[in-house]
Amino acid sequence: MQITFSLNHQTIEIDAPADITLLTFLREHLGVTGVKDGCDVGECGACAILLDGQLVNSCQLLAPQADGREIITIEGLRAADGGLTDLQRHFIDDGAVQCGFCTPGMILAGEALLAKNPTPDREEIADALAGNLCRCTGYIQIFDAIAATARERQAQTTTGERP
Amino acid sequence: MSPSRHGARYVGQPAPRVDALEKVLGSARFLADITLPGMLHARALRSRLPHARIKRLDVSPALAIPSVHAVITNDDFIDHGSYGFPVKDDYMLAHEKVRYVGDAIAAVAAETPEAALAGVQAIICELEPLPIVSDVTQALDDDAPQVGPDRADGEHPNFLSRSIVNAGDAAAELNVADVVLQDEFSTPHQEHAYLETEGALAIPTPEGGVVIYCSNQSPFINRDNVAMALGLPPELVRSIQPPVGGSFGGKDDLNYEASAQCAALALKTGRPVRMIFSREESMVASYKRNAMKMWVEVGAQKDGTLRVCRFRGLLDSGAYASESPFTAWRASIHAMGAYRYAAVDIDVTAVYTNNAFSGAFRGFGNPEVNFAIEQMMDELATKLDMDPMDLRLQNALRLGDHLPHGQKLDESVSLVQCLDAARQKSDWDRKRREFARHNASNEIKKGIGVAALFHGLSLGAEGADYAGATIRIDDNNRIILTSGFTDYGQGSRTVFTLIAAEVLGVRPERIDMLRPDTDTAIESGPTVASRATVLGGNATRLAAANLRHTLDLAAADLLGCQVAQLVRDEETYIGPEERPIPWEDIAAHARSLGLQLSAQGRWQAPSIHWDHNAGRGEPYFAYHFAVQVAEVTVDMGTGQVQVDDIWAVHDLGKVIFPQGAEGQVYGGIAQGLGYALSERIDYVNGYLQQTNFDRYRIPTAPEMPRIHITLLEDALSAGPFGAKNVAEPAMVPTAAAIANAVAHASGRRIRHLPITLEQVLLGRNLMRPATADRARRGLLL
Ligand code: FES
Ligand code: FES
Repeated sequence: MQITFSLNHQTIEIDAPADITLLTFLREHLGVTGVKDGCDVGECGACAILLDGQLVNSCQLLAPQADGREIITIEGLRAADGGLTDLQRHFIDDGAVQCGFCTPGMILAGEALLAKNPTPDREEIADALAGNLCRCTGYIQIFDAIAATARERQAQTTTGERP
Repeated sequence: MSPSRHGARYVGQPAPRVDALEKVLGSARFLADITLPGMLHARALRSRLPHARIKRLDVSPALAIPSVHAVITNDDFIDHGSYGFPVKDDYMLAHEKVRYVGDAIAAVAAETPEAALAGVQAIICELEPLPIVSDVTQALDDDAPQVGPDRADGEHPNFLSRSIVNAGDAAAELNVADVVLQDEFSTPHQEHAYLETEGALAIPTPEGGVVIYCSNQSPFINRDNVAMALGLPPELVRSIQPPVGGSFGGKDDLNYEASAQCAALALKTGRPVRMIFSREESMVASYKRNAMKMWVEVGAQKDGTLRVCRFRGLLDSGAYASESPFTAWRASIHAMGAYRYAAVDIDVTAVYTNNAFSGAFRGFGNPEVNFAIEQMMDELATKLDMDPMDLRLQNALRLGDHLPHGQKLDESVSLVQCLDAARQKSDWDRKRREFARHNASNEIKKGIGVAALFHGLSLGAEGADYAGATIRIDDNNRIILTSGFTDYGQGSRTVFTLIAAEVLGVRPERIDMLRPDTDTAIESGPTVASRATVLGGNATRLAAANLRHTLDLAAADLLGCQVAQLVRDEETYIGPEERPIPWEDIAAHARSLGLQLSAQGRWQAPSIHWDHNAGRGEPYFAYHFAVQVAEVTVDMGTGQVQVDDIWAVHDLGKVIFPQGAEGQVYGGIAQGLGYALSERIDYVNGYLQQTNFDRYRIPTAPEMPRIHITLLEDALSAGPFGAKNVAEPAMVPTAAAIANAVAHASGRRIRHLPITLEQVLLGRNLMRPATADRARRGLLL
């Protein structure tokens, strides 16, 4: 089926098989390997993407469902200068990365949360990550990285540095 | 020139993980992210029966499928692909028999994963069912079906190993002790649940060899296994490690099988071959933490002085030995806990069953025995009307004490300090009192519990203990560092980078720490048993010191002084005339003198000895000590247990990579939390009931307690900069501390993990409806 969608800020027109998942389509057909396969049943969040700004598990969608939508994967998350976003930098600084397999999904989950709630407390952060499994970190440093990013963005908003 | 004299510049200071950047960008290429032109996809046919004779195996229908390029069986390997250490009882593909559901029988390479699956389903494989044994207590019965290999020594074929520790006269001590307590405990299998499943990629080389990319723990063992199974000289097999998506002890055997299968298929087809396990395949086929049954007796004096511990452990190795004999040995060494005794009598026996198989998992037998002995300590405290903290303090191993095993502890023994810190930080005394009062009149109860541990460093008497590292300066003045140790997420590459930077006096950003590759690194034995920091750290330290010596000579020559007169200002060298010379100029001068800017370091652990027959000796050259306290809320109406806080006090000797050390403690506690409360594995007649994350429940973010970490630094002279390891001990005491807290809250002593709602409410686990379907469906058979 012929579909048109936006992938990491670029419009794509492509034939998408109807019988494969969006996860397989992104990874195997489009080479977007930052999207990971951890379970294929919608339980781990390693395959998470932002679909029109919403955090969804791409293993639970079919490829044609991308039609007309806007998809952001970890590859599409970059600062204006093409470098790291503040959240990505805090993931590094706060030790939120161990093996890194969950990391793309975790960062996208963090962005989805901060878009809705710019001042989350620890409980709200933990709840927002409920669908993303991490076996290495115990999540704590991931909470720290998201909280630090939220504080920094708040400070910038009040000083007017960042719209 | 010891860096520590001036305070460490890099070691122990905040630093980013060296591989974090590519991981936050999503550009790190894990195995499943590597695709090559012409690459074939492989899949294994796996057994759908827990025990059977292979009556007929006909692969020709698979080969008839146009996009299937090759199918292999055990006949494609030397000696049927027999491998395994310490017991060579497993096969790269099953030979004559299958011994568990998921045992690999044949492997198919095809153009697509779908075609590979079609090939697997087309293979004609007739299995003749054999009787099974799945209950560990029946494995050694005279009429138990034979799972283990034939043996000539008269032992039961299902007997795998026995490990003992002996001190004093345990029987006599039990007779005269004022109090004797006796109880039975059990711990279940645990799945590693790394988010990245197993797999391998093999690329045939023009000279007839093969290059393997595999997310294994030990690339050198992988290389040797593949070479052996294919009859290739080791030089023709290269094993390279891409980023590894978690391991925790779990990426050995099955990854070696996948590597050998892909290598054989690659040689047969002349094309790259990649195999990636599905989650279900990973859970059904991969080895687990050993399930264990334990019978414990402790005797003490009225005043709380421990006298004796008698311990019997029965460890389920499952279908193959894997590393279970080592796990059983480590369990026996730690079974009595970190205390002084007049006598101990410890026996841990490992047996074969048809419950998949078990092998290495973080903690290696210690979380299992810790769950039993640390609850016994609390039961004893209750019996003697003592505070559990006081009982532990009274009996804790101290500097200068002898372990029951016979070894004198002469440095870095910090259990008392750990207990004191945990008591104070957790506000233990107040909470013990106030919770007891609160609980008398409330359905929602509060509890606080403690568990202590010791954990032997590195392999100990389990194997030859050495490590190597290489270091060189390239033409762009970048420093290239290698180690035979794997970094599967625990941060050892950063630890080694910081150590080398410290010793050389250069910025860590100048250093490229390569991933393990059998062509560039020096063999260093397996990356297990928390060996990396001490063994690999020391080898790195020595390699860097050797290189530094060369640079210092060049600097002294250039500055016209003695090496002892050199001073450093960050990277810059300064001579007696205060003339600063940039580090690059020193390197250039060394080259002009004809000096080679590369070095190696090799570190051998202090020698130790263990007498397996007497059960006495020096099991490890040093020990990690730690204490964790858990605070819980228990709802007596629903049986719900919530862990609110954990205080973790660990002695690391010296913290080298702070963010990494804390991450190991957090992550270890999370795995201990899952082990305690939610990670349930059931083998029913050999069939696994939990085949994906929907039923196998690892902790999620909202379940995490607040965690308060205190890291002590009682330096170990043999450790690099005094450091000891932390990855394993972090998870050892968590389940026991939680169980003790639950007992404090509810009055219920739960001796069988996991601590489920029904155990809290009814005191026992309910049987769940069981089925063979899930495991079979998971294998798509
Ligand atoms: S792979 Fe999609 S949720 Fe796990
Ligand atoms: S860092 Fe390994 S799964 Fe999260």
